[in-house]
Amino acid sequence: MPRDEIPPGTLYMLILRVLARSSDELHGFEIAKSIETLSEDVLRVEEGSLYPALQRMLIKGWVKAEWGMTAENRRARYYRLTAAGRRQLQEEISRFERVMGAVTRVIQTA
Amino acid sequence: MQWLSAAFRRMRMFFSRRDRFDQDIEEEMRLHRDLRAREIEMQGATAQEADYAAQRRFGNTLLLREEIHQDWGLAWIDHLRQDLRYGLRLLRKSPAFTFIVVITLGLGIGANTAIFSVVNAVLLRPLPYSHPEQLLNVFENNLQKGIKASGCSWQDFQQLQQSGIFQSTAGAQRHDLTLTGTGSPAVVTTVVVTPEIFPLLDASPLAGRYFMPADNQPGSAPVVLLSEGVWRSRFGADQKIVGSSIHLDQQAFTVLGIMPAAFRVPVFGSHQEIWIPVAHDPLFGGWIDKRGVHFLRVMARMKPGVALTQVQSEADSISRKLASDFPVENGGWALHLAPLRAAIVGDVKTPLLVLLGAVGLVLLLACVNIANLLLARATLRAREMALRQAFGAKRGRIIRQLLTESLVPGLLGGVLGVVLACLSTRALRLLLPSDVPSTQPVQVDVWVLTFAVVVSMIASIGFGLAPALLAARTGFHTNFKDGAAASGLDVRRLRVRNLLTVAEIALAMVLVAAAGLLVRSLISMTSVDPGFQSTHLLKAEISLPRYQYSTPQQWSAFAETLLDRIHAQPGLRESALAVPLPLADSFVNLPFSLAGQATPATTPPTADYVSITPEYFRVMGIPLLRGRFFTREDSASSQRVAIISESLARLHFRDENPLGKKLVFGFPPDSNVAREIVGVVGNVRDAGLIQEPGPMMYVPFAQGPFWGGELVVKSTLASSAVIDSVREVVHGIDQNLPVTRIGTMSDVLEASVDQPRFRTWLLGAFGLVALLLAAIGVFGVVSYSVASRSREFGIRASLGASPATLGRMILMEGLSLAAIGLGIGLATALGLAHFLKSELYGIASYDPATFLASTAVLLVMVPAACYLPARQAMHADPMIALRYE
Repeated sequence: MPRDEIPPGTLYMLILRVLARSSDELHGFEIAKSIETLSEDVLRVEEGSLYPALQRMLIKGWVKAEWGMTAENRRARYYRLTAAGRRQLQEEISRFERVMGAVTRVIQTA
Repeated sequence: MQWLSAAFRRMRMFFSRRDRFDQDIEEEMRLHRDLRAREIEMQGATAQEADYAAQRRFGNTLLLREEIHQDWGLAWIDHLRQDLRYGLRLLRKSPAFTFIVVITLGLGIGANTAIFSVVNAVLLRPLPYSHPEQLLNVFENNLQKGIKASGCSWQDFQQLQQSGIFQSTAGAQRHDLTLTGTGSPAVVTTVVVTPEIFPLLDASPLAGRYFMPADNQPGSAPVVLLSEGVWRSRFGADQKIVGSSIHLDQQAFTVLGIMPAAFRVPVFGSHQEIWIPVAHDPLFGGWIDKRGVHFLRVMARMKPGVALTQVQSEADSISRKLASDFPVENGGWALHLAPLRAAIVGDVKTPLLVLLGAVGLVLLLACVNIANLLLARATLRAREMALRQAFGAKRGRIIRQLLTESLVPGLLGGVLGVVLACLSTRALRLLLPSDVPSTQPVQVDVWVLTFAVVVSMIASIGFGLAPALLAARTGFHTNFKDGAAASGLDVRRLRVRNLLTVAEIALAMVLVAAAGLLVRSLISMTSVDPGFQSTHLLKAEISLPRYQYSTPQQWSAFAETLLDRIHAQPGLRESALAVPLPLADSFVNLPFSLAGQATPATTPPTADYVSITPEYFRVMGIPLLRGRFFTREDSASSQRVAIISESLARLHFRDENPLGKKLVFGFPPDSNVAREIVGVVGNVRDAGLIQEPGPMMYVPFAQGPFWGGELVVKSTLASSAVIDSVREVVHGIDQNLPVTRIGTMSDVLEASVDQPRFRTWLLGAFGLVALLLAAIGVFGVVSYSVASRSREFGIRASLGASPATLGRMILMEGLSLAAIGLGIGLATALGLAHFLKSELYGIASYDPATFLASTAVLLVMVPAACYLPARQAMHADPMIALRYE
């Protein structure tokens, strides 16, 4: 199955969405996997770029990170959404819908 | 607010451990790759293939980490660390350069910080009381009589207190009392107060309690508060002293409490030993029913939120009411309010700001000098800069690197400067009027430290900017070519260096001229003839306790016995008693009138009053111009006589002969006594060495006795021997009498110009440092120019230029820089000199001699600085130069 790169600028939204859906805290690989699974393997995260994005989200205070242990007993950094992150998600989604709506209208009228 | 918390998180990162941070990121990414590899392996790849595939999918770890660093702002920190480390390494590599830069800056910053600590203490820091802006001094003026800033009478003070226009009011005055019964008798500096002063100044006692209004009622038991200092030194820090009694002027006072060492009543100096209520003072206690005696210094606290002008107008209406109710005593008197700070700080503002300006110029000069040094080094480092640029360093990055490099010695200099400032704060107290140190200690506090840091940063940028900008401008292709004839950049650099040298000479000129003006002014101050001969003249004060010696007859008798016995001592023939002694004591100004003339309706004339024993003029070397001196026959029972000073004679008798005329003056109850003028003596500067002598009138001690006085002795014996015999004689008469304030009259003269002298020394030192820095600057720029032109000199020499010609060339180069610098400096100095006007005595602020001399000093300095480089040029070897080609 062909895989598509995620559109630029939506990485934050996807990470926020994944974290918001999950009842647990997730580490980086789990976030990447979740994005793949949720999009039914259509969207592929540029794997490395996940980490700078997570660090930027840490700076902005959208997520919090804590070290924990994986099932295989390896140290991993687990990320959790903050209240600010939750608000940001709403904002990102509504902006995305606005943009998509506009793009869809352009395509359909063409 | 989000950016703020983000900034906070970034800040925390700055201080957290970097290696740990990187390890965490690394571990997180490794886990990701491992998990991915495992997944791929499960799909059937070999372990190695899976690893490669996972790594490819993940991307470049190093680049990702860089990206994270950028985001956290760590790159910036990395560069800063790099540059700082590089800067330190450069400094270590050239210790001589480092030493010069750090010492120069340290001295400059230290001097600035030290002077600023004084400015901070005096002009900036609020007085150490709550709401200091509410505190006022209350004076009474009588402009009709020409009296300004006098104290208030007790009755007027009461009126003020009852008026309710202030939150609170308190009064105080100084009066020295004799403490007996604890070791040798001593005069203790006593401040006589009203009880309200303690809450007004937020004071709380160390032990016991302070005065309550009841303690100041006439008829209450006499009470006293001890200072911590006296409590420790005289009473051995005895805890049980509170409640026991001590003897002041032979009267018992109960100790109510002990005040902490820091407590002072402002405006009465830093030395205060005990406090008593006004009602119990042997002198002032008797004045509280006298409406016409303006003895009380009054302080007041304004009500919150009230403007000074409003309170002043309320005080004005009180003055008017008092004047109409008591026209005899209060006519012409008016209450005048002024902020307490102004009364404490006095007139040091201008001199302090002048010093701060001067020391700022010194630092500027130091910076210019270091900039010059850095420019010389920049030539050496041009290749390094070109290399950096070739490797892709941006211009901004290079400027930042060079500025960071100059920040390192700048901050090191700052540290040295703060150390120097801390060491000098004690000495700098001399800059202050005596009242300030007690309330405002000169110390290095947060503000002074901030000042030092800011000044070091500004200085670092100041001296680093020009070299950095020039270095960053380097076109790198030019700089790989070495040894070529002076490139365009070298010429530019030389031009900047010439400019800086001109600035140095100009700055040095300004400082040398200012120092010269102050030195000339100090010389004219100290060469002023005080009107008496101070050589071999000793003085000591003897004060009689007024409970024991209560009558004028007793005072006269004591003086007579004292002098009789002292004259009997070998070598003490020439001694006399006087109250007050010129310059040593504050002068006493009294109104007088000519007998037989109606008192003029306008201001009555006044003159300074001195009571003396007959030997006084001979001992002091004050010349007799007409008539006679006093003799022993001028006694309490004979005709009242007076001797006047030349200036009084000239002012009021013009061409007439004053001898035989009568003047009416004296202390109550003798204020209406007519005294016949029997002599005219030379003028004496009694109020201040630099104040023109005013009219004076002398009376014989026997006709104007006082409870003690200043003993003056002219003797060729050693001072210690004189003092020992004086003490012996005094204690022979009454062993409870203290002999205090012992010193030579030369010291008294010196002390009267202490503050101007100290300021002159400081500014003189600044001037010298400036001269030295400018000399180093000229030397540096000229020798650099000689070194870079050795080939040119070689060619000139081989073409027949004599060494003398070459030397002259170099000298002319230095002198032409000097000429421009001197021109600018002279103009600036003349422009700035008027700021010094209030500091100068006996010379004009444009004093031509000083400016000529300063120019001459700099004109000598420049050839001296050019000497070594010129010699080098003179010995240019044509062969060496030609071999280069």
